[in-house]
Amino acid sequence: MSRDSTAGTAVTAREQDPAERAEQREPEEPGQKGDPAAGPPEPGTTGESAEAAEPSESGGAERTRRGTASRRLRVAGVALLAALLLAGTGLLVQAARLNGDDALANRALTDASATAAVSGDVSNALSKVFSYAPEDPGVTARDADELLAGRAREQYRRLFGQIQQRVVAQELTLTTHVVRAGVVRLDGDDATLLVLLDQVTERRGEDPASVGAQLSVTAEKQDGQWRITDLKSR
Amino acid sequence: MSTRLPPLRGVPQRRTVLAALAAALVLAFAGFSAWRYADAATRDDLDFARERDRVLAAGQEHIGTLNSIDGADPDAGLARWQDATTGQLHEDLRRSRAASADAFERAGITARATVTEAAVTELDTRAGTAKALATLRVETSGGAEGTRTDRKRYEAGLERTADGWKIASLTAITVEGSGT
Repeated sequence: MSRDSTAGTAVTAREQDPAERAEQREPEEPGQKGDPAAGPPEPGTTGESAEAAEPSESGGAERTRRGTASRRLRVAGVALLAALLLAGTGLLVQAARLNGDDALANRALTDASATAAVSGDVSNALSKVFSYAPEDPGVTARDADELLAGRAREQYRRLFGQIQQRVVAQELTLTTHVVRAGVVRLDGDDATLLVLLDQVTERRGEDPASVGAQLSVTAEKQDGQWRITDLKSR
Repeated sequence: MSTRLPPLRGVPQRRTVLAALAAALVLAFAGFSAWRYADAATRDDLDFARERDRVLAAGQEHIGTLNSIDGADPDAGLARWQDATTGQLHEDLRRSRAASADAFERAGITARATVTEAAVTELDTRAGTAKALATLRVETSGGAEGTRTDRKRYEAGLERTADGWKIASLTAITVEGSGT
């Protein structure tokens, strides 16, 4: 009985040992390996009863020491996992901060083709709507309806109402050239541009006169076409 | 002791599985977040976009500086002009500084410029060159014409220096055919 009991404790110690060590050292592996490792020795009833019957003094002390050691390892493992969790969260927050950077939200120049597209559309629209010919000012009005939207349409109607009378009465020709255009901001379907214009006015029988104009233009993409929604003289 | 021992034996197995599961999850999470971070941190367009914003900020500031002068202390203004420029323009300003200071002193003109809008039109981050447009409102006082406000428009060439982006060239965009 006493021999059995010592053998029993030895078995228990042996089978507990690898399982616990494995658990502490490489927490992810025992998931597959730990079970079978703990399986084979399958403690017999003798071991259990023997242990239960009379644990020797030294065996108890040993177990306590081992218990403290394994508890320490467990704490270390948990601490390591907690640290990994924290670090991972920190990295995700950092990544979100980088991806949400305002510099990145503005696609001006970063997206070269989109920048060229909005710049071209807006330049075209401006030279169309700010060019009038006495022969047919209606063309300009129709262009304006198509190329302007929102506030810009109202701003333009007010302006065009005044000009239309002069255009017809004085046989005025106004031609607008875009000299330079730069995209200040491009964010999805919204854009802000700075456009430098030259406006040439021609009265029949007179030399043409040129004036410069600078506009901050707000544009919005609707159905694949950029439309001017606001104009501001600079 | 006898009552506590038996569960000790069964528990490690369940605990092992749970611990392994938790560890695997945490490791997977850590790996995922590391990948997300590396992906975000190495974006080329972020560096480019930030450089564009730096060019815009420097351009606005320097173009404003180059259109401002204090009639009471033109030399300080000319020193700022030099600080805002690089290359040939910087050299030209250095050479003409004494003469310019005299001229401004005699004229006693004070100009205060406000950049009303600016946009970067070109940026080559490798070459360290850029172009920007700017429109300004310049209030001039103290001259023979009294106080007046002018609208100006410029195209500036910028170059990257050890001290940030500086103006290498500044061209007024004149109206074609108007002769100004």
